[in-house]
Amino acid sequence: MKEFLMLIREDANYGELSAEEMQACIEKHYRWVEELTEKGQFKEAQPLEAGGAHIRGKQRIVSDGPFLEGKECVSGYYILLAESLEEAIEIAKGNPDLDWDRAVEVREIMPMED
Amino acid sequence: MDTSGQLAAHFFREHSGRMVASLARVYGMEHLDAILDAVQDTFETALTHWRYHGPPHHPRAWLSRVARNKLINALKHASRHHHVGDTEALLHDVSTTDPDPWPADEANTDGQLQLLVACCHPALGERDRIIITLHILCGFGIPELANALQMKTEAVKKAVQRSKALLRQKTPNLRQLNLADAARQSPTVCTILYLVFNEGYKATRNAKGIDFDLCYEALRLAKLLHTAAPAEAEVDALLVLMFFGVARFPARLVAYGDWIPLEDQNRSLWDQQLIAEGFRYLDQAQHSGYAGNYYLEALIASHHCAAPDFEATDWKAIHHLYQLLENLEPASTLIRLNRLIAKSYAIGPLPVITELETIAVDGTPGIAFLLAATKAHVYQRAGNTTRARAAYEEALSLAQNPLDSQLIRKRMEAI
Repeated sequence: MKEFLMLIREDANYGELSAEEMQACIEKHYRWVEELTEKGQFKEAQPLEAGGAHIRGKQRIVSDGPFLEGKECVSGYYILLAESLEEAIEIAKGNPDLDWDRAVEVREIMPMED
Repeated sequence: MDTSGQLAAHFFREHSGRMVASLARVYGMEHLDAILDAVQDTFETALTHWRYHGPPHHPRAWLSRVARNKLINALKHASRHHHVGDTEALLHDVSTTDPDPWPADEANTDGQLQLLVACCHPALGERDRIIITLHILCGFGIPELANALQMKTEAVKKAVQRSKALLRQKTPNLRQLNLADAARQSPTVCTILYLVFNEGYKATRNAKGIDFDLCYEALRLAKLLHTAAPAEAEVDALLVLMFFGVARFPARLVAYGDWIPLEDQNRSLWDQQLIAEGFRYLDQAQHSGYAGNYYLEALIASHHCAAPDFEATDWKAIHHLYQLLENLEPASTLIRLNRLIAKSYAIGPLPVITELETIAVDGTPGIAFLLAATKAHVYQRAGNTTRARAAYEEALSLAQNPLDSQLIRKRMEAI
């Protein structure tokens, strides 16, 4: 079993979503993660704060983060368990975030070689 | 992920109204905009977190705490920038004198009621009252409202702005609006809830046929109103109407979205529990001597709900009730039409044809279609297929949604 990092990218503007739609979004995720957990495909998931810092180079120049206004940024991550990248992609396609036109990125986490 | 928490259906929508009510009571209606923003923000924060971790163990308390903190921060920020002197005092006041600024459940119900009365303020137009009630008490967003009420987004946005401005000015301190006031205002509130329910029930509006959400919210708020005005027979009667209506929804539409006329409905699909609840409120209304239009409509619905099948319907009683209703609203074409339909089942189709032909169409949306469809059906039952076919053709040309057209086509095939 390999581990895959799934990043969620979205433009965090929920302005047009109503209370009912937001609840629907939460519930869809909840059911999806439950399903993944049952199948042993879920390890963990965490949201990320929108703010943060971007630090670059020898000078250690700190800026307000890589988050340009209105641009897609990483809003959270999942660690998925799968046999192959293909399987991980299939799992990721089930992420309800995609129904709200968000994007996900799946990358295999390289295991430590013995 | 926390596996404890399944959220109740419409939890966010209902809590939206609860939170606005609680915050408006404590911090005042003059901060309505900041309050609505804080509540919307809170749901967004919930969306961000709960999506990953599932709902917390106490979702209600979580939402309330976050909303309150967001509002306090916003008000502090505003007072720092605009020198709103008493806001600071207010915040101070709340934190020192009110160890638990979150009203208990009972008070929260009061808060929603007071807000409901405020939203039904007579200074607002009828449509504005419907819009602002759904927006503030039921958490309907602008696009959702535009969709539900078949309006342009811009028009809804303007209505919301206009109403909010008026509410900020006209609403007294919500704490001073007591339950006796709410009971006194119940007729205006009833009107709005009746309209919201009808908006959802209306056949002519959209392709779905019934907008369950609108009906559900109208019913929820009517129950809320009932807690303030338990002795108001008008509120009882309104609840009867709503319960009887909702109970029969499942039989009115089939899966692929066709209207099922009353005579063809599978009555085993009617929800007997909801019907029983309706009869409970009817019993309360019956002992009051009130005989307004909701009550008469409720009685009519009760005859339908009590009939084991279409043939067993007491059409004579229903006809009589429509006569009484027509006395109350002599100008309504819809009531007159319904009376004639009842009469045609009570004594036969032939005697109503003459009167049907004299009916003039008023401004009620969709009434021309209903008139043509009714004529066609009555002619059909009287055996006059030529007239029936002509009237069905006319109805088809007036149909405003696919469900209506579908029903007419089916009936034409049956000739």
